[in-house]
Amino acid sequence: MSNSHIFLKSGFIRTPSQNGVGRYVCQLQRVVLKFCKNNGSSRGMREFVESELINFAKNNPGVVVYLKPRRHRAPVISAEFLNGDKQWVSCHNYSKQDISKWLNLLRTQSGNTTGFRLRKLQHTDHPSIQGPWTPYTFKDPAENLAEYPNTELSKPKIQLKTATDELLEIFNSVQISDKKGVE
Amino acid sequence: MSLYRQTLALTSRLLLKQALKTRITGETRNIKRWVAPTLNELYTRRLKVGPEPPQPRSTFLEWNYEAEVFAFGKRLGEDFDKNILKQALTHRSFVIAEEEKAKQKGVQLEELASNRSLIKEGDKIVSDFLKEEFKEHPDDVAEALHDYLTSVDMLAHVASHMGLRDIILTSEFPVENSTLADTFKAVVAALKQSQDVARAQIFVKDFLISQLNGKEIFDIWNPEKPLEYLTNLLKQRGINEFEPRLCNQSAANTILANYQVGLYNNKKLLGIGWGESIQIAKETAALDAIQRLHYQK
Amino acid sequence: MSALKRVQQWATFARIWHVYDAAWQNPFHSAKLLKKYLMGLHKPIYHPLNDCGDHVIVINTGDIALPEDEWKKRAYFHHTGYPGGASWTVAWELHDKDPTMILKKAVYSSMDGNLQRRYTMERLHLFPDGKVPADLMKNVSNQIQQIRPVPKRLDHYSEQERKEFPKLIDYPKDYILR
Repeated sequence: MSNSHIFLKSGFIRTPSQNGVGRYVCQLQRVVLKFCKNNGSSRGMREFVESELINFAKNNPGVVVYLKPRRHRAPVISAEFLNGDKQWVSCHNYSKQDISKWLNLLRTQSGNTTGFRLRKLQHTDHPSIQGPWTPYTFKDPAENLAEYPNTELSKPKIQLKTATDELLEIFNSVQISDKKGVE
Repeated sequence: MSLYRQTLALTSRLLLKQALKTRITGETRNIKRWVAPTLNELYTRRLKVGPEPPQPRSTFLEWNYEAEVFAFGKRLGEDFDKNILKQALTHRSFVIAEEEKAKQKGVQLEELASNRSLIKEGDKIVSDFLKEEFKEHPDDVAEALHDYLTSVDMLAHVASHMGLRDIILTSEFPVENSTLADTFKAVVAALKQSQDVARAQIFVKDFLISQLNGKEIFDIWNPEKPLEYLTNLLKQRGINEFEPRLCNQSAANTILANYQVGLYNNKKLLGIGWGESIQIAKETAALDAIQRLHYQK
Repeated sequence: MSALKRVQQWATFARIWHVYDAAWQNPFHSAKLLKKYLMGLHKPIYHPLNDCGDHVIVINTGDIALPEDEWKKRAYFHHTGYPGGASWTVAWELHDKDPTMILKKAVYSSMDGNLQRRYTMERLHLFPDGKVPADLMKNVSNQIQQIRPVPKRLDHYSEQERKEFPKLIDYPKDYILR
């Protein structure tokens, strides 16, 4: 198994700038589609531009879309986010659907998350509603005045009757019934 | 810097050319021993020059200011008047720089409006609305909240997460925090002029006040002497005295000592706090009591 | 971080000092109990990577009770490292030499052998009798309950109680009690 993930930057999942508390803002601010007009590796990208790009731009008016044709280079999506992150996705030989999916992923991301390991899949700044535990939380206040070491507090909770106790009990009960018999 | 870069490019080209020449004229077909040294040389020179200085996004080839401004409004879900929004994004320093350029070229420049008046107007809208919103809080707390939210760093943070950083027109680069903060105010004013005050207030609420989410009051506001503050506060409410009691203590004789102190009035708990000494525990108990008195009824 | 949050953290990770009376207690069962307090396993915030163990002062380790004939049969092994350096010490012998040693070894071997074990042991303070330095006793704020009741010996009963205890027979007058 590879251990490369332990050298990755790590942290917790976060929302940039309280996004969604007031209103939701799409964090993808602009995207540049770079492709070649006749190279085969850009075929999917060209199809995407022809058939689906208009819809994408219409549905996401908050994302600025740039097209950058360049000769004999592999197709690339370069995305820029509101928090200043940039993400670069190579689309070599990708189909139209692949590009659509990658673009959708970028649209729903909060920033560039590649090379970043989430320590947990959930995070909260307020793990407890009742307030965090302290050693005093469930302590009996009566113990505040105790002197230590304390023989009373030291006794085990469950105290079974000893043979002596039982013997005394039997003796006492017999005596009472004897007295009754006399009367 | 750029001159140095140019000379570097030129020399490297010459070097390559020379190397190519020897390759062409060389009679033997050998392992090309010139390739690695040349690349190494280029690489070390690149390292020497250092990283490229950051360039404004607007100088890139793929940049369309109209589209960016349009997308800015749509992203936030607001309908801005295009011209007013553009004015809100134009700073005085940019106008001056443009005029200077035009003078040098000897061209007549069309009138460019700066956002000075909008900043003032926006400042007032934001400030008034925050005061109105925090009316219910005690005066000093409301003031602290107002100052926290209208601080330059906070406004700049909000503005840059809206995507204002790239589309501001200003002569400075990188854009300073104070400029970003001013632009936020100008955008609020632009929204008011495009629609109405109510809409601008909702905008402030959604983007600025939402930054208080997850914050506790003492993250933002801290009375300097909590015990004195509490005494005054209690006097206002007709309680003349309170009594601190040591509720718990642990490891009292070590540096990891911890004390729990409760403040009581007439056998009723006002607040409870901890601390590494009894004095600190009393003060944090006072903070707790202040919070309970202000926000629990 | 606000002042309240800071002391909240301080309070959550406060070190508690416990006292445990080892008189008449099985040291091996006690070790399992004490280990929880020493490692912080009794706390809801426990995590192997956080340092939340408590201190435990154990008194009266001289009065521990070993089950059955363990005093005779349990042997403690030691090797000096030199050839022929092995030695086996029986429990009663070890207890004579150092009355805290049996409980100390019991606690030590009840924990996993990792790097933390020796630091955890530093938080265990053993005393053969009830004499604990006053400055240590000042730290204590909790008593750990014993795992079994301390039996009451005959000489702990008063003369009155002994007289009133029911008898099946009376000794003859000329019977000599030893």
